[in-house]
Amino acid sequence: MTAPADARRTADALRAAAGDALAWTDNRRADFALGEDALAADGEVDRSWKPLGELAQVCATVTRLTGPAEPLHARARGLLDFAWQETREGELFLRLQRLEPFATYPLEVYAAFASAGLRHPAFEQAAAVVARTRGWRLTEQDPTRRLGVLRAEERCGIHRFGQAPPELPQTWLGGLPEPWTFGRDAGYALTHVVFHLSDWGRDTSAMPPDLVAYLGDWLPPWLDTCLEAGSWDLACELLAVAAVVARTTGEDVPVNDWARLLAARGPSGEVPLDDRDLDHIAAGPGADGDRHFLHHYHSTLMAAFAAVLAATRPAERPEAGRRPGGQGAPA
Amino acid sequence: MRTDEKVTQDVTGIQAADIEAVLDPVEADGVYRDSRQCAALALNSGSTSLLLSPPTPRPKKG
Amino acid sequence: MEQSGTSTRLQAAVQDLASGVVSALRGGDHAHVVPPVGTDGEAGDLALAAVRVLGADALLPGLLSRTPPDPAELAVFRKAVEAYPPRADAAPTVRWSHWAMARTLRRADPSSAEPPDEPDTAWLDGATWQFFTHQLAVLAPLALPGEDCAVSRLAAGRPVDVARGFVRAVRRRDWRQAAGAGRWLTLLPGVPDTVGLEAGLDFVELMGGQDPLVTLQVQAARRMRTGARV
Repeated sequence: MTAPADARRTADALRAAAGDALAWTDNRRADFALGEDALAADGEVDRSWKPLGELAQVCATVTRLTGPAEPLHARARGLLDFAWQETREGELFLRLQRLEPFATYPLEVYAAFASAGLRHPAFEQAAAVVARTRGWRLTEQDPTRRLGVLRAEERCGIHRFGQAPPELPQTWLGGLPEPWTFGRDAGYALTHVVFHLSDWGRDTSAMPPDLVAYLGDWLPPWLDTCLEAGSWDLACELLAVAAVVARTTGEDVPVNDWARLLAARGPSGEVPLDDRDLDHIAAGPGADGDRHFLHHYHSTLMAAFAAVLAATRPAERPEAGRRPGGQGAPA
Repeated sequence: MRTDEKVTQDVTGIQAADIEAVLDPVEADGVYRDSRQCAALALNSGSTSLLLSPPTPRPKKG
Repeated sequence: MEQSGTSTRLQAAVQDLASGVVSALRGGDHAHVVPPVGTDGEAGDLALAAVRVLGADALLPGLLSRTPPDPAELAVFRKAVEAYPPRADAAPTVRWSHWAMARTLRRADPSSAEPPDEPDTAWLDGATWQFFTHQLAVLAPLALPGEDCAVSRLAAGRPVDVARGFVRAVRRRDWRQAAGAGRWLTLLPGVPDTVGLEAGLDFVELMGGQDPLVTLQVQAARRMRTGARV
């Protein structure tokens, strides 16, 4: 067990890291802004709606877990408002829905805003009409994504009555697979299952106990190997999952893993996706700003997300401590 | 060098140090294949889900 | 380059010896795994050194099948124990490996000397699960059903950590470490079921099985899982 003073120091360091990450993000607002092609038929959704939705999602959790007087809270609130303005206070979701009524991503992105209380009733009504069709409900997606869509529907007041979500057992994590079969794709799938189940860290009590136990056992080798491989982005997501789990189990923050991640940051607190091609990308914003942004924005957001989840643990520590038979990686 | 070590070396022609090095190996470097090429997919492919993962690109208007 | 040449030849001799042990564990002839004493010259020297490197596992097939050891084989094993005592500054794994050989010698031939006192385990105090598993894997010959020592007691207290180390080793494609850790996991109480050990051993053999040192550990683990006792 960590002494209270150490735990406080760790929490302070994590808050500082989250602050740096969000400051970097704040400086890149222009890169998150929706461009002219946000509604264009050939627009690149991955470079427009996806980053904006991710920004909103992370800031929604940060504002929920921090106090109104904290600088982190104010920063996240400001970014949320900026992102909402980019959608013209939700109006663009309605227009997107008219263009692509059966696409799920507008609802998924919208749900991130809705979870922070930013809503557009006309869009929700329109989405509900489409969501009543059998066709919408039978949309073919991988189980993890499906879980996300179901959660987004609930967030927007769309309920599939009498239908327990069958998706969880179909996911990689839900099936409790052999942990040594973990790989990059399995890793991203499992982190997202946890994010969906825990409502992006805002309701960690909703995590099924068998998943909590499973994750408690196997996150350490997954994190260790992702950090060794320089998979910083996935490591951030796994650290966020570890923080979600720790909010239930009371386990200590994995300070060594955090130290390795934070050491990989750039000069402004930004976290690279991985350690590939750093020389080229180090040419920096001036040389190829877009590329630099795409190589950093997601991991940086995820680092802020994970750090806030880890730093704002409830003061009341649960009874359960470390897993018997495992002492983790002592400092 | 101790006497018994000298004897050992004479008998076997192999240094005790050779054997002890094998019996106390350093850990091999980790080998990862999924850290490089797949990361590019995360950036560029609409079919790979990172966070909210939009679907495959929309068709152009005809 | 003499040093690395010697080391390469030694490694090759160890691999040969391990192949013999593997075939014996699979139910083949287990009598003459260890070359007889009296093999002269460099080949004999290398073989003796290889026995020392493979350690107690050189006699594993007979031990697991409760077959009385071949006297000639036993003589070589004894010679290896006597010829290569740990040097004064030897690493803990070297000491423990030698101790394990002495214990096995005594088991195989009760007329042999009592094994010396166990080495200490101070080097594992506060070990991270990563280091702990690596060291255990190096000391896989100590993983025997029904055989107790300070190292195996430490391992029994950290089953989840060893299982984590197994997962890490597979992820890093360090098949030797994975195989050694897998062998320990077959013996430890309290390993989470979700580790999927049986499929894990198959996988490690599939991926690393061209190395007889990997196969040896996997075979040993399988034999011990089916209830072989020493």
